[in-house]
Amino acid sequence: MILKRNSPFLIPAIVLGIYMIYSLGPIFWLVLSSLKSRQDLFTLPPKLFFTPDLSGYEAVFGIGAAKDSAAAIGLVQSLYNSIIVSIAGTALATILGTLAGYACSRFRFVGRDDFMFFALSTRMIPPTAVLVFYHVMFAKMGLSDTVSGLIIVTTFINLGLATWIMKGFFDGVPTAVESIAKVNGYSRFYAFRKFVLPMVRGGIAATAGFCFIFAWNEFAFSSILSTTKAKTLPVRLSSAMGSTGIEWTQICAAGVVLIVPVAIFFYLIRRHILMGMTFGVLGKAGH
Amino acid sequence: MTVLNVEGLSKSYGALQALDDISLHVERGEVLALLGPTGAGKTSTLMSIAGLTDQQAGRIEIAGQEVSRSDPRLRDVAIVFEGFNLLPTLNAYDNIAMPLRSPAYRVDDGVVDERVRKAAGDLKIDHLLERHVDQLSGGERQRVAIARALVRDPQIYLLDEPLSALDLKLRESLRAELGNLQREKSATILYATHDYHGAAAIADRIALIEGGRILQIGTLDELIAHPNHVSVGKLIGSPAMALFEGTVSGSQLAIDGYDFTIACPSGFSPGRIRIGWWPEDIEISKQKLDGYQQAEIYATDFRGVDRTLQIRFGGHGLRKVVPLDFDLVEGDQCWFALPEKQAFHFDYETGETIKNDTGQA
Repeated sequence: MILKRNSPFLIPAIVLGIYMIYSLGPIFWLVLSSLKSRQDLFTLPPKLFFTPDLSGYEAVFGIGAAKDSAAAIGLVQSLYNSIIVSIAGTALATILGTLAGYACSRFRFVGRDDFMFFALSTRMIPPTAVLVFYHVMFAKMGLSDTVSGLIIVTTFINLGLATWIMKGFFDGVPTAVESIAKVNGYSRFYAFRKFVLPMVRGGIAATAGFCFIFAWNEFAFSSILSTTKAKTLPVRLSSAMGSTGIEWTQICAAGVVLIVPVAIFFYLIRRHILMGMTFGVLGKAGH
Repeated sequence: MTVLNVEGLSKSYGALQALDDISLHVERGEVLALLGPTGAGKTSTLMSIAGLTDQQAGRIEIAGQEVSRSDPRLRDVAIVFEGFNLLPTLNAYDNIAMPLRSPAYRVDDGVVDERVRKAAGDLKIDHLLERHVDQLSGGERQRVAIARALVRDPQIYLLDEPLSALDLKLRESLRAELGNLQREKSATILYATHDYHGAAAIADRIALIEGGRILQIGTLDELIAHPNHVSVGKLIGSPAMALFEGTVSGSQLAIDGYDFTIACPSGFSPGRIRIGWWPEDIEISKQKLDGYQQAEIYATDFRGVDRTLQIRFGGHGLRKVVPLDFDLVEGDQCWFALPEKQAFHFDYETGETIKNDTGQA
């Protein structure tokens, strides 16, 4: 679409264009840099057209020419760990947060407000304040440097957020939904599963999206609780940077690898995320 | 046979007494209207009967079974809310079919389809069944909500202001259809409403509720002939009862703000009193007649087949329905009479009807 000079959409289009360059520009630059050779990377002025060089990716995955190279970062195991920890942690936090959010939204019980504050406080405390405690506890339980240990901690740190977000979505669903269902022959659990959950599926997707981002980018706990075989991608990347100096091509390629799963995840749930985001605006559950 | 029997139902929300010793019964095939202003306790009564809220005291029986503490699923009632409360994730068909697919009332798919289409046809929404809820107008949504209740044959239908959110024309049309369906199915209905016209049009009996208390239950004729509380006069009739305050002195009753007295029945104690007349009993004339008092017409409401005059005198006002050929207009003078024998006397403090020494109200 071509906008005329007096179009009312001209200024919004310019603002959106600037914002798009601001937000997507660094990613575009990262992808370009990951495909450049070391020489092209530092050429001034920067080259937009160049012969692609996949050495950065080969080093990241330890394949091709970098298969036996000492400089290879070898991210495959870390990528696998990150995917498992993030998906499992996100799934558990979202499921438990959905149940807890529903309970806090619909039931009045002693300590409900205290529980909600406690759930929120798990996001307030800086990780460094509890890292030692976690380290000792996980070591005693045999969970140090294990994927299952990281799944547990990822679930815990996201559960409070998931509970709060989902409570907000359930608050937006009229209690009359359950009333109608109960009078018409359904149990509360059946009504929750069959009628209430579909009404908040946008919220569930949004919650899962946030949890996945936090889980995927989680660094503090993973760096302390994983030493070798359970290292996640961010931890592995940070340790790779110090070993053979800063290999910018490899770092850029690793950055792209770090972004791709999040991008794919959000692409898959984008429709539900939008539904979840507009939930409050529409004043009703998305459908 | 009594389908619903409620005795001594009480409920409070904190310090607010929502229901105070509610007792009523509904016979099979009967429509009982629960008529009262907003906040009177109509919805709380229906919710308690449906089991959707717990009462503090009282006993509820449905079809002879005590269900006071039973799960809503076991009470065999259907409910229609004022706010439609359709499920936005389902289309019209699935919303109507919802009760028939529940674990408690499940039937075969063929029967589901037959009953959904019958209910939709009765309510003239059979062409809308595939539409999503947000593609329906307010009237269509309420028809779907009513169809969802009609698709089953419960012991009793609980209708909570089902037509209040609709415009007048749609309300009257849907009320007539509801009446036809009730007669066709011989359905038992407890119909909560604040709309006197709605209650009068559809109900066999009317239970008047105010402040969480049942004031009086009876047929419309009984309520008009023997109102037992001043609030009955305010809730019944269109226009409602013309109410005044006055003072009993010996055998005379002086109405505040006006310089005439009327004879007071024997046996009344001297002191303050409330007095009322049904508008139909108030005499009005274009000419001055013996015993008639002068007043001014300050507004007229055209109602299609007749007119309502708003008459002002001595700081008081009353409303009276007259034929269209009663051609007085705003600002004209008229004369009226308040017949002593048709007056209803109410206790000034409690509002309850005062009976004279013959026992007549």
